[in-house]
Amino acid sequence: MAEQVKKWYPGEGKITPARVVLYLLVMLGAVSALIRLFFGLGATTNLSDAYPWGLWISFDVLAGVALAGGGFTMAATIYIFNLKKFEPLLRPAKISAFLGYLLFIIGLTLDLGQPWRIWHPMIMWNPQSVLFEVAWCVMLYTAVLAIDVLILALERFRKEKLVQFFRQIYLVLVVAGIILSTLHQSSLGALYLLLPEKMSDLWASQAIGPLFFVSAIIGGMSMIILESLLSARAYGRQPEMNILPDFARGLSIVLIAYFAMKVTDIYARGVNVLVWDRPHFFFLVELVGTVGLPALLLSLPAVRHSEKGLLTGAGIAAFGVVLNRFNVSLTSYGGYREFSYFPSFFEIIITLSLVAGGILLFDFLTRNLPVYHELTRESG
Amino acid sequence: MSKAMLIDTTKCIGCRACQVACKSWNDLPGEPAAYSETWSSPRYLSSHQYTRIIFREAAAPDGSLRWHFIKRQCMHCLDPACESVCPVGALKRLPEGPVVYDDGRCIGCRYCMMACPFQIPKFEWGKAVPLIRKCTFCAERQAEGLAPACASTCPTGALLFGEREELLREARHRLGTAPERYYPQVYGDRIVGGTSKLYLTAASFEELGLNHRGFRTDLGEVPYGIYGRAWMSKVPLVALTVGGLAVGLHYLNRRLAAVQARQGDKEG
Repeated sequence: MAEQVKKWYPGEGKITPARVVLYLLVMLGAVSALIRLFFGLGATTNLSDAYPWGLWISFDVLAGVALAGGGFTMAATIYIFNLKKFEPLLRPAKISAFLGYLLFIIGLTLDLGQPWRIWHPMIMWNPQSVLFEVAWCVMLYTAVLAIDVLILALERFRKEKLVQFFRQIYLVLVVAGIILSTLHQSSLGALYLLLPEKMSDLWASQAIGPLFFVSAIIGGMSMIILESLLSARAYGRQPEMNILPDFARGLSIVLIAYFAMKVTDIYARGVNVLVWDRPHFFFLVELVGTVGLPALLLSLPAVRHSEKGLLTGAGIAAFGVVLNRFNVSLTSYGGYREFSYFPSFFEIIITLSLVAGGILLFDFLTRNLPVYHELTRESG
Repeated sequence: MSKAMLIDTTKCIGCRACQVACKSWNDLPGEPAAYSETWSSPRYLSSHQYTRIIFREAAAPDGSLRWHFIKRQCMHCLDPACESVCPVGALKRLPEGPVVYDDGRCIGCRYCMMACPFQIPKFEWGKAVPLIRKCTFCAERQAEGLAPACASTCPTGALLFGEREELLREARHRLGTAPERYYPQVYGDRIVGGTSKLYLTAASFEELGLNHRGFRTDLGEVPYGIYGRAWMSKVPLVALTVGGLAVGLHYLNRRLAAVQARQGDKEG
């Protein structure tokens, strides 16, 4: 039986410095978003005809979606591979996946020249466009995640009949979620299939779709570990150290597979990686530092069984996914033009505020929905 | 049959009347002159500059220097990458040749700018509600039976408007009759599947230093949209496979767990 508590964690409801910073960031971001909407992209960003896509595409869209890959990864772990012992990790993963997509859609909306037309792909079709497919998959998958969170809310408010109904069709939702994720996680990479001539050979691969898919699994799994450890720390809970080491072993296996894929890809295309310039430096950091190193670390039982080791390994792996997305979308494209790009104040603030908003919403939802097994909100 | 334009750069004198005609037909704002190191003005194409003449001074094989004037604008590909990538179908190639843009559909994602191998679509960065802008090949003039504004204003006949097949024949004829005048290639004939703008130049684009400034020569003869279409054609199969595997493994693993539990009971 779950323990019933009035307060989620000792400091609940208290205004801590961290919370003040997060709220301030969100407010700054909201004001910046308004300024961006009224004055336009040219006035508020450093984007240009030479760099049509910048920080928001690299981080909010590409990295954000990959790091939110925990939803479908966990759903597959529990429902498809029937590894029930990892179940305590499922609900936080659902919440963070939903929030990840929500924030990504907000970020994307601000990036569009015509934000209020974001629904156009629903009725204006171009089935040969990879981005059209991404738009549809993301739309449907966010709906699946929203239903998932809705079920948690129904549980909280004891709408047993409705919960029962959704349980019956749950497998449909899981399978749909996995199909949609497989498609759009890989298709986000496939967007870059059409511009090989603008990209550095290091990343311009015909295998970029599968590479994006596997690295999204890494992003999702490492974020699940990080969330478990960090939220335990924030809420004064015990992290799930009984299952996290095994989960991290899974992550190390995926990392090794991804490392092998990357090396095979580079070798098969005959790309020389031992050149001393910026893209090659970032490539080697990405491959050795953020894929190879965490794969090695997490394959050591001693590291996996310590909180600090898990935090380090998963942290580097998650950072590696972000670095890969920046490399594909900016580093790789950088050498192509005589112009350079660095995000503007508004771009940085809006991205930071999305992350801050994500943390606050995660906190709000975990406090108010039955997310952690051992705790339920005292009713009445 | 579709319309095209033969741009014989050896006949261009760099007067830039085409730039002016383009601005006045499309009602685009003027701008202060800004010269490049080689006296091209303006320095870049933009949302209010659909075409420009690039000035280049290059050495001929005999060592003498000479000027080259290269017109740049949308190439109006026969199978455009922009049309292929646009998620809402805002960019379309008309059967008559022009690649046109529908203001009403565009969501402003700028994927066309990323995908265009010639870096042609430009964004209205100065506006709060921006759209994509590029050369339209004067589709509305063509619909009235007129030649594009630039071609009708060109004083030297460097811009020849007509049927693509005929212009290709004409280009090859010129290469054959005056080989000393030209670099032996029609740029646009087959590159990325062929374009509606066909170029004759006195030197190769590498010699002109333009192969990385809008006139790449390493693009190949395959239209880039093919990569996207190949990916999209696999989507239904991937969806079915993943879905089938997911359902199958779900029941298989559940059954395995049930069997194991029963065996455990028997032994225990």
